[in-house]
Amino acid sequence: MTTTPDPRTPSVPWRKRPAARWLNGTNLAALLVALFVALPLYWLVSSSFKSTTEVATSDLFPHRPTGANYSSAFSTYHFATYIENSVIVAVVTTVLVLALGTFAGYAMGRLPVRGRGGIMVALLMISLFPTVALVAPLYLLMRDVGWLNSYQGLIIAYTALDLPFAIWILRNYFLAIPKEMEEVAWMDGASPVRTVVSIILPQALPGLFTAGVFTFVAAWTEFLVALSLDSEDRYRTIPVGIALFGGQYTTPYGTIFAASAVAMFPIALLVLIFRKAVVSGLTSGAVKG
Amino acid sequence: MPNTATRSGPDAPPPAPPPAEAAARRPAASQLQRRGARLGWLFASPALLVIAAVLLFPIVFSVVMSFSNVDVTGSGIHLSGTTTGNYGILFDSPRWRHALYFTVLYTIGTVVVEIVLGTAIALVLERLKTGRGWMMALLLMPWAMITVISAQLWAYIYNGVYGVLNSVLHPLIGHDVNVLGTPVEAAVAMAAADIWKTTPFVAIIVLAGLVMLPGDIVEAARIDGASAWTTFWQVRLPLLRPTLAIAVMFRILQAFGLFDLPFVLTNGGPGTSTESLAVLGYRVLFTDLKFGPGAAVATSTAVLVLLGCLLFLKVFRAQVGTEEN
Repeated sequence: MTTTPDPRTPSVPWRKRPAARWLNGTNLAALLVALFVALPLYWLVSSSFKSTTEVATSDLFPHRPTGANYSSAFSTYHFATYIENSVIVAVVTTVLVLALGTFAGYAMGRLPVRGRGGIMVALLMISLFPTVALVAPLYLLMRDVGWLNSYQGLIIAYTALDLPFAIWILRNYFLAIPKEMEEVAWMDGASPVRTVVSIILPQALPGLFTAGVFTFVAAWTEFLVALSLDSEDRYRTIPVGIALFGGQYTTPYGTIFAASAVAMFPIALLVLIFRKAVVSGLTSGAVKG
Repeated sequence: MPNTATRSGPDAPPPAPPPAEAAARRPAASQLQRRGARLGWLFASPALLVIAAVLLFPIVFSVVMSFSNVDVTGSGIHLSGTTTGNYGILFDSPRWRHALYFTVLYTIGTVVVEIVLGTAIALVLERLKTGRGWMMALLLMPWAMITVISAQLWAYIYNGVYGVLNSVLHPLIGHDVNVLGTPVEAAVAMAAADIWKTTPFVAIIVLAGLVMLPGDIVEAARIDGASAWTTFWQVRLPLLRPTLAIAVMFRILQAFGLFDLPFVLTNGGPGTSTESLAVLGYRVLFTDLKFGPGAAVATSTAVLVLLGCLLFLKVFRAQVGTEEN
């Protein structure tokens, strides 16, 4: 996306770069955009360090920064449990989606399966279905199986919910790999599973990252299904925990934002590391499908 | 879905099983074909089975439930007889009509603002020479944020006593403002929170579309003496339509299923003024335990979303279709 200048091209003779040069319309507009996005985020982090009395003001920064909110999130509330639940559910979901989605995406992209166009459209339609239309029957199904308030119930629900999009992304990446690659592997007598895992998969690694990050973010942030299936305190994920923090009449904002900052940290890190994969997922994977 | 089907038609690759005579001429090829197809099903079936069991079954069951008399007992639910009564209850209910009205209006309002603002931001980013990578990273933060967290954050910002919005507005108008306390203001405040979280996502999609535009056409327009403004409206915006169409589709789908934000930020209130279809459906199902009408809310919402998208695709079909071939 960004173009780095070729070091070999003769660079423009030394130019003055005074502040006035930087101060153009584009940069000012970009600064406004950055403020628009960053200010609420700043407010969240700043408030998480405010004492209980300071949280009830709108001072621009905490005068006496305190970590009390962070400790209360873990001691007064069961935030450690929520983190553990979220990590288990999101990680297992991501692994399952990638494992199942890789083979399905390969079949849809590379193998002569009859009616795969129809299957892909059906997957798209299913993934467009509003979640609220699924929760009631999903709830009844999980209750019959006895999987309400469990990890496996939520994991299997998320796996199914996030698979269609992952299959679409992976299929698009598989389509772009030259066909000769696997023909050579086939002729060398490699088994189909081996061909996919050791020949095709390394080629589609960016696609795997993209599908993985999207699945993880989706599982980490999902609220409605988690609220419906796993509302018991012991199995609450982070979104459910943060939504239900506090009592009927008081909202402990300091604690909520401390917990939020902790919850956002791994996602922020993931997004920073896999920025390119995320952007390509938002664009090529999603748009070209 | 005739248009979506034809849309995927061209890119569904050729190897349909060859006709009999061709197969006779190339037996090896057709055998390979059959083997590949069998392998394909083997590879695809675990994923498809999970999706069918966990998504397809609930969808079908939800539709059936919406047309049944549902008795909720201690041990479960019991379906008896077919009825359209659940939908009758819905259409007669002012609460459902309001939720529908609110959701449609909210969807249109937020999507329009997000597309316009997102396009403007994308144009800025395109011209930005330094720090574009950092800007992209920053723009991804709201997208990756848990919606429940952003809802709590905005509830705090909008608080009528110590919220930062109030402390900005109070000196100007001379009294406390509790935007979440009045129906229209609450809806606008919720839309603003949504716009903050989602506009960056739109901007990134549009930016990718801008970057992929054929440079020579834009260059030609500039050589012909068109201003940047004219070039944008006359040349680039029309070329950008497929990208915008996809962004709009994504947003309509998300906005119509709106749940997390009203559930946490306004709790559907004041009263039921910001109750979206999804929140209404959830409450009828899980608070009132009325599974028949609840399923009717859910099913009708799904049908409306699909209809909305089909309508939108129909309007944009020409552009989207030609672009994808």
